[in-house]
Amino acid sequence: MAEFSTSIKDAGDVNVVYLKGYLDAHTAPILENTFSNLIEKSKYSIVVNFKDLSYISSAGLGVFMAFIEKIRDNSGDIKLTTMSDKVFNIFDLLGFPLLYEIYKSEEEAINKFSETKKLENR
Amino acid sequence: MIKLNFLKINGVEIKSNFKFQLFWIIALFFFIFRVFISTQNSIVSEIINETLLTFTFLSLFFYLLDLIHSKPIDPLALVINVGILNAIMFFLLTFSKAIFGLWYNQAEAQISNPGILYNLISFIYSFEILSSLAIILLAFKELYFYRQKKNVSTYFNTMIVFFFLASFSGTLKNIPDLSYIKDTFFIISILLIFINSIRISWIAFLVKKEKISLLILSVIISILFVVNLANGSSSSNHSQVMLEFSPALSHFFKVMMTYGAIYFSILFFTTLFHLPTAEAFDRKAQEVNFLQYFSKLIMESVDFKELADTVTEIAIKVCNANAAWIAWKEGNEFKSLANKNIGYYDANNLTKFVFDNNLGKISDDSFIINLKKYFTRLELSEELFFLTAAPLKAHNEIKGYLFAAKKNDISFDDEDKNAIDTFSDYASVAIENSILLEESIEKERLEKELDVAREIQRKILPAENPKFDKINISSVFIPAFEVGGDYYDFFKISENKLGFIIADVSGKGISAAFIMAEIKGIFESLAKTIERPKEILIKANEILERTLDRKNFVSAAYGLIDIKKEKLFISRAGHCPIVLIRDNIIENLKPSGIGLGLNFGQQFINSLEEVEINLKDEDTIVLYTDGITEAKNKNLEDFGEKQFEKILIENCSLNADEISNKVIKEVTLFSQNNSQHDDITLVILKWKQKKLINVNLGEVPSLDGMELDNG
Repeated sequence: MAEFSTSIKDAGDVNVVYLKGYLDAHTAPILENTFSNLIEKSKYSIVVNFKDLSYISSAGLGVFMAFIEKIRDNSGDIKLTTMSDKVFNIFDLLGFPLLYEIYKSEEEAINKFSETKKLENR
Repeated sequence: MIKLNFLKINGVEIKSNFKFQLFWIIALFFFIFRVFISTQNSIVSEIINETLLTFTFLSLFFYLLDLIHSKPIDPLALVINVGILNAIMFFLLTFSKAIFGLWYNQAEAQISNPGILYNLISFIYSFEILSSLAIILLAFKELYFYRQKKNVSTYFNTMIVFFFLASFSGTLKNIPDLSYIKDTFFIISILLIFINSIRISWIAFLVKKEKISLLILSVIISILFVVNLANGSSSSNHSQVMLEFSPALSHFFKVMMTYGAIYFSILFFTTLFHLPTAEAFDRKAQEVNFLQYFSKLIMESVDFKELADTVTEIAIKVCNANAAWIAWKEGNEFKSLANKNIGYYDANNLTKFVFDNNLGKISDDSFIINLKKYFTRLELSEELFFLTAAPLKAHNEIKGYLFAAKKNDISFDDEDKNAIDTFSDYASVAIENSILLEESIEKERLEKELDVAREIQRKILPAENPKFDKINISSVFIPAFEVGGDYYDFFKISENKLGFIIADVSGKGISAAFIMAEIKGIFESLAKTIERPKEILIKANEILERTLDRKNFVSAAYGLIDIKKEKLFISRAGHCPIVLIRDNIIENLKPSGIGLGLNFGQQFINSLEEVEINLKDEDTIVLYTDGITEAKNKNLEDFGEKQFEKILIENCSLNADEISNKVIKEVTLFSQNNSQHDDITLVILKWKQKKLINVNLGEVPSLDGMELDNG
């Protein structure tokens, strides 16, 4: 079976989660753990970088759905970045662009977080 | 050898009853003879007397033999019985003076007034002695043969023969010249007693506690034998009565008392010498027992947790520890399990401490650690001073360590270390077995579960395609090993209206199958009351909000063909595009729409569009799930939409079934070197206007192009 792994980068208030490999029903629990750990530490501003993700199945998409409610309730968000066309197509078919902010680059997504913060502070 | 096997052939009960009756009949004869008949001391009467005595003795002996063999023999119980009988005899002998003093003239040692009463009492007295001797002889015989590996019956039987010879030669009291015969037999008997008394290997098998009690018992019993022997000496009343009753019994009594005294003296000394090694012997025996018990357990045990518990429980006993636990490797960390006599916190703490500080070089060997100097640092809730551990291996890999700890000041010795080493080897095998078993059970369970899921799916999908004059329908479904949650269905709303759906439930296996079943129920009932695809999808999403887990969702496309109006209405909730082939051109219909279950608010409703298409002759509508486009070859490349579209165009002039066959053939060819990861569903609907012309000649078909109405 193809492997899957995640890694986390701390970018100030924002945490960037890097996905690598194949995200399917068998590897979905790995990403679930990653999100659970972040939420446990009250880190609700999450950027997910899809740069090294080669495949995502419906069970993989389900992971995002499982956590988004809790994160948004805590005025956080999951923003998605750097998807390959193939991965984007899967997200697009399901209508994810209507539910999630998807950006071309990681910086853009991180900046979006700080912008909303500034707006809130104002 | 004294035959005892013959009574095991059949009907033990009947035979022993028979012996019992025989004994009482002989005893009765003997009693009558003694009390009522025998008054004069003739040779004939003496011979009858001794014969009856012998038979009484033998019948009692064999009856008791049956009795004793009906239960397993416990040597210590036999010894205690001998002791009790001896004590009774001791009291009888002590009181014999008082009882028989009535009849004895002390000065002359002669019976003054023998009468029926005397005969009665002397019979009862002697009979008691006789019975006791029979039981004691039986006990000696059983002790002699207990745990005897070789056939040594010759020595014992020879001894018994000499016992009888010594006893009966005593009958020759009237011929003083021949007394040397009696003495000779007596001396030989004593020699044989010595030889036979050495065979007491059975004490080796007693545990230390039993040995100590045996030591005390043998001292008391050997003293009792000596005292009884002394009390029964020729000058006592007992001796007088015995001689008068039966000289043979009197001599036999002496022989038996001698035997007892010698046997139990030897027993005492042997036990004494065995005592220092008793503990070591016990330990070895216990170890063997544990290992035996454990290997039995290996065969039986199924549950890993249960096994772990047993391992630690035995580990404590095997190496005389106070506490034990298993440190099981999980990832890079050790987690304690099956803790015995130690708290979870302490066990984890100690394990972590040992491995963090590399105290017991993590190796294949067991090790002993003195915890005294680290004690304050460890902050344990209990005082544990010594630690020993041995690796547990499965598949040649260290899976964990078996730990044992001691509270007292005495460290584990090499013996303990060896014991835990040996034991951990056994435990490793057991653990490996249980892991393998658990894995195969889990695998089986999963396969069973998938069987159920496939069965559900098979029953949910339509058994056959509905028949319409103007629609040529084909559907193919190929399940993946792990049920993928694909679903398609047709709803014949009326003669002129066909509703159809294709859906893909997120996830796999039984959970996906259950959601599928739910989806089928929802659409089946909605299709009856609602016609327009968009409305149906909105309603379905509403219903799903109540039951669907947040991480689950369903991609679906619902369509309606109105045959009369020659229109197709279609809405898509996150599903793959619907392919429309018209005039050799492919169009991917992709009206916007979020997957069912992804959003339950206005956003879902707002996003949803409905396409309306005026159907043209030979229009081909293709519905599929991503199992086709994401079918993978051995290089993990996707089959892809391009390839899919190419096949569709090339074959679009064929009928629905033929197109479907071509597609499936190509997909199968493409992915033949890789397993099918997801369900494959392909539904093709082909619009056949001409059929309608054939039926209703007057009607002119509409040749309008297609329109796109955004819902």
